[in-house]
Amino acid sequence: MLGSTEAVTVEMVRMALDATSLRHQAIANNIANINTKGYAPARVDFEQQMSAVRQALDAGQPVTHEMLSGIQPVLQRDQVVSDEDRTSSLDTESANLAQNTVQYEALLKALGKHFAILGSAISEGKR
Amino acid sequence: MDYRNAFAISASGMDVEKTRLDVTAVNLANIHSTRGPDGTVFRPLHVTSVEASGSFSNQFEQLAGAQLHGAQVASVEASDVAPHKVYDPGNPDADEKGFVTLPGVNQVTEMVNMATALRAYEANVVALNAAKTMALKALELGGSQ
Repeated sequence: MLGSTEAVTVEMVRMALDATSLRHQAIANNIANINTKGYAPARVDFEQQMSAVRQALDAGQPVTHEMLSGIQPVLQRDQVVSDEDRTSSLDTESANLAQNTVQYEALLKALGKHFAILGSAISEGKR
Repeated sequence: MDYRNAFAISASGMDVEKTRLDVTAVNLANIHSTRGPDGTVFRPLHVTSVEASGSFSNQFEQLAGAQLHGAQVASVEASDVAPHKVYDPGNPDADEKGFVTLPGVNQVTEMVNMATALRAYEANVVALNAAKTMALKALELGGSQ
């Protein structure tokens, strides 16, 4: 059990936590610049890079470290939003913020449970 | 979670919106000012904000991976709104025809600016609190499940 799966799981959750953390900064930056004219909203691309991992899991294949190499959250910029569309961006960003926070906490929960399973194995199932 | 940068970004946004609120307050406070300290009539102020590009220390952090710096105030400028004249012959600042020059502060515009700045400020506070919650949750990792 403590083979490559263990390291890959923790590695994937770690990368997802990094991506969520960076996404929070991007959303915070968008909110800070909500009244800035000519501002290009920041976005974080991460999930699209995980398509190889998803395909492997769908096909019942294990995820390997090679699939994860080179994947990292990338900061991107949208097109400059025209002033007419500006008013709608505050609620969109707030919704993104709430979703991102929940996702971060879900990832932490999953990682905690994963470590709890390991702890259970270490204590031979006794508590 | 690099919570310091997240806090700094939200704080910069709050700073900008607070400046906007301050300037709105100045404009409203001077809505009936007939002359300023230099003798000329008050001109409504306007805040322009830009995305913060980062100072030298920020650029140093950029090497460490932080690429976002929030917002900053670019300038607070007096706008060219034409003053209006009100007939008030009793006023000491009235001209020979009895008209007093008042600044072109638009009350409705100022109120809209205030509401916009207030909501934007609140959104920044929400983002800051979200960062705090996330950082605190991360501290609980490895504790009792």
